[in-house]
Amino acid sequence: MSVKLSKQTKNSAFWWWYHGNLTGFTHQHMQTFGFMCAMIPVIKELYQDDASRLRSLKTYSPFFNTEPQIGSMVVGIAVGLEEARANGADAIDDAMINGIRAGLMGPLAGIGDSLIPGTYIPILLSIALGFSAGGSVVGPLFYAAVYISTMTFFMKYIFDKGYELGGRAVDVVIGERATAFRESMVMLGAIVIGSLAASWIGVTTALQFSLGEGNPPLILQDTLNSIFPNVLSLLTVLFAWWLMTKRKMSPITVMLILVGIAFVGVLLGVFDPGLSY
Amino acid sequence: MTINIFQAVLLAFMASMTSVIGALGTTYSWYTLSRPLVASLFVGIILGDISTSIMVGAAIQIVYIALVTPGGTVSADLRAVSYIGIPLAVIAVKGAGLDPASVQGAGLAVSIGALVGTVGTVMFYSTATMNLIWQQWGWLSIDKLAYKNIYLTNFVLPLISHFLIAFVPTLLITINGAPFVANLKDWLPLDGIAMKTLFTVGTLLPAVGIAILLKQVVSKPTDLIVFFFGFTLAAALKINLIGAAFFGAMIAYLNYKIVMSGSSKKAVAEEEDL
Repeated sequence: MSVKLSKQTKNSAFWWWYHGNLTGFTHQHMQTFGFMCAMIPVIKELYQDDASRLRSLKTYSPFFNTEPQIGSMVVGIAVGLEEARANGADAIDDAMINGIRAGLMGPLAGIGDSLIPGTYIPILLSIALGFSAGGSVVGPLFYAAVYISTMTFFMKYIFDKGYELGGRAVDVVIGERATAFRESMVMLGAIVIGSLAASWIGVTTALQFSLGEGNPPLILQDTLNSIFPNVLSLLTVLFAWWLMTKRKMSPITVMLILVGIAFVGVLLGVFDPGLSY
Repeated sequence: MTINIFQAVLLAFMASMTSVIGALGTTYSWYTLSRPLVASLFVGIILGDISTSIMVGAAIQIVYIALVTPGGTVSADLRAVSYIGIPLAVIAVKGAGLDPASVQGAGLAVSIGALVGTVGTVMFYSTATMNLIWQQWGWLSIDKLAYKNIYLTNFVLPLISHFLIAFVPTLLITINGAPFVANLKDWLPLDGIAMKTLFTVGTLLPAVGIAILLKQVVSKPTDLIVFFFGFTLAAALKINLIGAAFFGAMIAYLNYKIVMSGSSKKAVAEEEDL
């Protein structure tokens, strides 16, 4: 006797995950219920008796949390394993399935976080910001259309890979080619972020030095611009980065420090937005 | 410019749906509708001034360009930044008579956005805590194989948390905050210390967003060269962002080719050793 999941059931597992991976989030069980909701149609189709259904549903009740988009691969793997278990594969038990689930969620979260919100989204947003100059609607529409379509395609692709290949699917995201691709994407990200910083941050100083009677005053900002354009913005970014990496400060602390610097700078006349009525 | 009850309801609805644990799924709520740039389009439609809203949203977006939420820790739940911060910033910028595309307009917008961002953090942790109640009921449903209850636990009951913790506060803050920020210049003169500081903070804060990203990208000091290269493209060579993306794509492509050819040579060499 061999049971094979219908295409429809596999799709519904995917879409339940796609829409519900984090909706019931608590810090106790982050994506556990989202994972269970994805497995319910699979379990219902594979087993007809309540005892097997309960056993399999409980398999997916331990804690689960990863980057949910790249994590659709784990759901695909679980669907494949559950099908194999229903077909009588002895080696597949709760411990084995949860070993794979728990073993993958950490590494995939690391890769997913650095690749998706850490690289892909900033690149897309930077391009979209370029399109939204002057308040154009093209920017937001571009981001929404490109992000949703590519990410949905990507999630479905790695879900299917997970189902087909089981644990071996991991090579798709950590294999040699994937690693080279990821490093190159990070490089592209760093370049785009660099130009984003130069185009959108405008830290300037209002300091002037009097050079005596008859001479025009030395405007510090002009001197700095002739050395390297927008250098104060670059230094501010490096300062914030230094505080976060070398001093291990949280972004909130760094923001508060910048508020302090702004206040002192305004008092000393280093910063002056030059507004009045 | 004020926010009427109808507009506030729409903003509150969007705020309820677009948390990191929002009701519409991670891909199109948190990673799309929650992004300040995308949200600004919706806010613009609701308030009836799309171009101002998008310029304000774009300025605020820079601060949150690299928001990563590892292991469920959230430094700023963007729904407050996007659906409370942007509308209030639009009203403040217009009330002060500033050009939203100017450094000053952007500075004011960023400061207001960041201020409101802290509300979002409170919302996030409260929602996650309140969902514990629904999950207790969900656990009881597993043994009974009550599938419907498990779906309710994950999809429907959390909407109650969102209504109480996001919808109601957003409604109250946008309605009551609007008259306050609209007359900001009556409370705080533009050339006073407080406003000067607020504007300056707004120009400094985007550096934090970029720095968060750098932290991810830079693992050794030489990696900074790539970032400097990108900065120089825009600052000194005046290449725009889309051009810089193509430039970066070319460099990334070359890097990929080099790495892959290096590894295939290694593979060939290993075969020869055999």
